[in-house]
Amino acid sequence: MIEVEKLRKVYPGGVEAVAGIDFEVAPGEVFALLGPNGAGKSTTIGMLTTTVRPTGGTARLAGFDVRTQQLAARKVSSVVFQDAVVDRSLTGHRNLDLHGRLWGVEPAEAERRIDELVEAVGLRDLVDRPVGTYSGGERRRMEIARALVSSPRVLFLDEPTVGLDPRIRAELLDILAALGGRDGLTILLTTHYLDEAEHLADRVGIMHRGRIVALDTPERLRAGLGRELVELRVDGDPVGALATLRSRGIARDDAFAVGSSLTVPLNGHTSSEAIAAIHELGLAAAVSARQPTLDDVYLRLTGGRLAEAA
Amino acid sequence: MTALALSPLATLSRRRLQLTARTPRELLVPLLTPIMFALVIAPALKTALHTPASYESYVAIGTIGLLIPLNTMFAGLGVIVDRESGAQRELLAAPVPRALLVLGNLLVALAITGLQVGVLIAVAVARGINFHASSTGVLWFLGAAALFTVGMYGVAEILASRVPRQEEYIARVPAIAILPWFLAGALFPITATPVGLTWVARFLPLTHGLAVMRYGLLGDSSGLHNIWRMSSAPEMAALSIGVVGLFAVLLTAVSVRVFTRAALR
Repeated sequence: MIEVEKLRKVYPGGVEAVAGIDFEVAPGEVFALLGPNGAGKSTTIGMLTTTVRPTGGTARLAGFDVRTQQLAARKVSSVVFQDAVVDRSLTGHRNLDLHGRLWGVEPAEAERRIDELVEAVGLRDLVDRPVGTYSGGERRRMEIARALVSSPRVLFLDEPTVGLDPRIRAELLDILAALGGRDGLTILLTTHYLDEAEHLADRVGIMHRGRIVALDTPERLRAGLGRELVELRVDGDPVGALATLRSRGIARDDAFAVGSSLTVPLNGHTSSEAIAAIHELGLAAAVSARQPTLDDVYLRLTGGRLAEAA
Repeated sequence: MTALALSPLATLSRRRLQLTARTPRELLVPLLTPIMFALVIAPALKTALHTPASYESYVAIGTIGLLIPLNTMFAGLGVIVDRESGAQRELLAAPVPRALLVLGNLLVALAITGLQVGVLIAVAVARGINFHASSTGVLWFLGAAALFTVGMYGVAEILASRVPRQEEYIARVPAIAILPWFLAGALFPITATPVGLTWVARFLPLTHGLAVMRYGLLGDSSGLHNIWRMSSAPEMAALSIGVVGLFAVLLTAVSVRVFTRAALR
């Protein structure tokens, strides 16, 4: 449903925001692009929604080239933007209706969908009020409903929960989770919240400095770090401590340092053996064992590299 | 334009109208200065300068030359609001040609300016200002006013697309909307200024627009004569409306291009 090949964007001034990425998203799949600010996620969505002009490469939505068949590509897709993109002085209903009309939905059908969506996102009591009076969470729910009025085949969610308080965020994640698989809807989500990617996505692409540095299911990405790891906080030089652990055979190349913390996957060792060895070396102020999370994958691929670059 | 394009254009125009109607300043503020001129300043000038009564009519048309730029520049503010805190990106992601976003705004600016010009003339008539217009004259007037509005909206749209913030946009309004008004024969004939400025005035679309509007609504072709130095008033009016038409077409085309390029990163 989404095919991206060697997609690249260089902004004026020579900043390469996206450095030739490739990925495909199958119909009905929820795919997350995960990465820190500046990784190139929003630029990628911008190119796929035809609001950012690609410097090179190709991208197709439902077979429509986003460069040469822009209107057709826009017709099959909708976007929920990172910031509020609404007509604040118009009512929620008018914002929803406007989307339907611009996407060519028959008025009666649009009204039926609006009615259904307003109920689904819990905006029944608010829909006739100006959007400027909505809270952040209410507005975001309205924007999600709006994106669905045209029954898109591809839905882009650009950092959909950023800036929301934890309770609202949890509610919104439930709404987004319910979208997965809805009428074969394909979702491309960008986020820097790891739990969000893990909770919602069938597959995750980790972006770093304009490149996709890992792409797989969350389970397989975690499995790359083994079944267990130890995490230790060191008092002194973390890079030196990591070198010591490697020289003693406790850590391998997949261990990494972020700040004063070291994360050491246990490749064949037991956690008790590793913790005992670490205590013997007197390296750690605190040490614990746990299962790998997507956080660890993300930090190994991005934080570790950032630390190396520093 | 196909029926396929008209539906989204109507939707976009309706949206802009609804947004404008919720921002009374866009409707009312541009009217204040022209009405002040028509009701207060023109009669005062007449008394102070002992000019003939037709000077009020002369200034009434001249104030339209202020109303149109002010109104269109205010309309341009809506584009910045759309971009900064409105739904512009949603519209850019919609499956409609992006030129329609500009044209939808233009239609509303044109309609509101028409309404305001109507109010101004009605107020002027109520104040006892006389117009001597034939049906052909009204057409000259409407054509010049409409084309000048279209061109000025193009200027506003270009400026709004190029200027990042409202404050910077507002700071440029006097130079674009008010300065030409002093030079274009709004308050006095262009030949009353030094020769160099008279020549500058001949190149201003507003000078041509005002001259045609006065010819249409007052039967006064002196403004056209000051530009063209010809004897046939209809020929001069046709030439001047051609200038304003060219201004309208050119600025609209450029505004669509600038908007589209600015909207895409």
